[in-house]
Amino acid sequence: MTTFGFLIKSMFRRKLLVSLSMLSLTTAFLLFILLRSVAVLFSGDFASVSDVRMQTASKYAIILLLPHSYGEEIAAVEGVRDITFASWFGGVFKEGDDSAMTFAVDPSTYFEVHENYQISSEHLDAFLELRTAAVAPEAIMDRYDLEVGQKVPVTSSIFPTANGEPWTFDLVGTYSSKNEVEADYLPFLFHYEYLKEATGVSDVGWYTFTIEDPEKASEIAQIIDSKFENTADATKTMTESEAMKNWMSQIGDIGLMMNGIIGAVFFTMLLLTANTMIHSYRQRIPDLAVLKTLGFSNNKVAGIMLFESLLFCTTSAAVGIGVATLALNGIGPFLPVGFVLAVTGPTLIWGASIALGLGLVIGLVPAISANRLVIVNALHTK
Amino acid sequence: MALVNLERVWKSYKKGRDHVEVLNDISFRANSRDFVALMGPSGSGKTTMLNLIGGLDRPTSGVVTVNDLVLNNLSSGKLARWRSESIGFVFQFYNLLPVFSARQNVELPLLLTKLGRKQRKKNAALALDIVGLSDRARHTPARLSGGQQQRVAIARAIVADPKILVCDEPTGDLDRSTAIEILRLLQVLNQEHDKTIIMVTHDPKAAEYAKRTMLLDKGKLVSSLLQPKVGAEAEA
Repeated sequence: MTTFGFLIKSMFRRKLLVSLSMLSLTTAFLLFILLRSVAVLFSGDFASVSDVRMQTASKYAIILLLPHSYGEEIAAVEGVRDITFASWFGGVFKEGDDSAMTFAVDPSTYFEVHENYQISSEHLDAFLELRTAAVAPEAIMDRYDLEVGQKVPVTSSIFPTANGEPWTFDLVGTYSSKNEVEADYLPFLFHYEYLKEATGVSDVGWYTFTIEDPEKASEIAQIIDSKFENTADATKTMTESEAMKNWMSQIGDIGLMMNGIIGAVFFTMLLLTANTMIHSYRQRIPDLAVLKTLGFSNNKVAGIMLFESLLFCTTSAAVGIGVATLALNGIGPFLPVGFVLAVTGPTLIWGASIALGLGLVIGLVPAISANRLVIVNALHTK
Repeated sequence: MALVNLERVWKSYKKGRDHVEVLNDISFRANSRDFVALMGPSGSGKTTMLNLIGGLDRPTSGVVTVNDLVLNNLSSGKLARWRSESIGFVFQFYNLLPVFSARQNVELPLLLTKLGRKQRKKNAALALDIVGLSDRARHTPARLSGGQQQRVAIARAIVADPKILVCDEPTGDLDRSTAIEILRLLQVLNQEHDKTIIMVTHDPKAAEYAKRTMLLDKGKLVSSLLQPKVGAEAEA
């Protein structure tokens, strides 16, 4: 028998009780990872978004359009470098599916402003040349099994065609992002001019522009917003990272809700698991006294209790995190494009920290009690 | 020099508001290869005296010396280490750990040594062989009779090869014939393996297997007698 074998066997003294408790804790960690991944998605914690790029959209809602003329006025503000615009199209690529991110853009400026996007000159030229052209990121190409060169039918509830038929785009190329995380959030892009021509809409969804000095972002935002403050189309300007968070928060403060649920789950688990560990300790008092009699020191016996608690929590966490990762990979294809649930590094660190913290907290009382156990009293405890 | 030496030992403790004197000025010696039975009525202090000798408890005053080592001043950590190396314990209710097999229970004290896994296993098998339970090595305590469990407990007590065995009512939970088997085993350990044994018992028949008997009453040693030879010793 090895020392580790001894510890494992001691831990599983009550197999059913320990197994069920571990299952509960595993479920808690599974929930933690799933909910935390959702919370991360909705907290807008996107590493890729830039503070050099800014966005001007309607002050009241991102779905409200802004006049096309705003573009020139924004470009004229000191410190603004390159500017482009886009409109939310809400394209549905497959009947019954949710809409995927689809933007009507100005191809001649869009990739200049979004320097983090990568497109071959061949594909960009093709995109610029044809009014019905479109380019798609890998995620959308894979999701809808698209190929460069094909015609892509897309419907939109925001901009339906006059005859009710789908829009048809010529897929002329693909593009990606230098940032891997961002790759899953890239939109399907087509000519704004095509949209304008077909619908008569002359307004745009939002303006995106780069600035020369990120430290002047708030100053620039203030100048732009004050220009349009007393108009029917008041604006809200912010950096891209702020804009992303703002957009997510319009869906609801899901991050807060998720974190609340996670907190409640772990508080309950803390009580349940602590109860299991204390119950287990009480049942083992005579055994612990025997170990002390045989020469196990106070610290060794306390260490056994603490080790068990830590092993209990970390094993449950490892299984829970593992199952959650598999589950997230499994449900990924069923999520709308752009919604990527993944176990992030910080979530893993949180999970590991919670497991260790929980193990220490719930193991502390039994460990201290075991340390202080008086052999002659405990030997006769039944 | 005696192997075990208690010099004017007092032990008292508080029970609520009362101050209970358990041992009053006890002086006791046991030499190497001694086999001493401690007898006396309930509450006379037998187990307390055994606990002091085994380093499970400390005296209120007086000196407990075992193998030239004064136990009074040892830290709890050093006392634990000393117990693992120097003393084997046998209890009335065996006190085996229920999830472990007989061999694993015997192996427990060896986890505190530097012996490798194979050597620990070998030593545990040898100890089980000495107590005649090699064929029950894989059985858990629940699958062993009372006598067999006590043999496992004895194997556990001797596996680290301590000089002294302290036995607290080792036959108290056993029927007569099984008790005799256990007492004969203790005699063999005393005579053939040179173990010094100090045994608490209520049973005068059990005490006959010891070389001498000490009587305690109300925390004082009242008499000491040498035993006629019985059991294996008589047969020899």
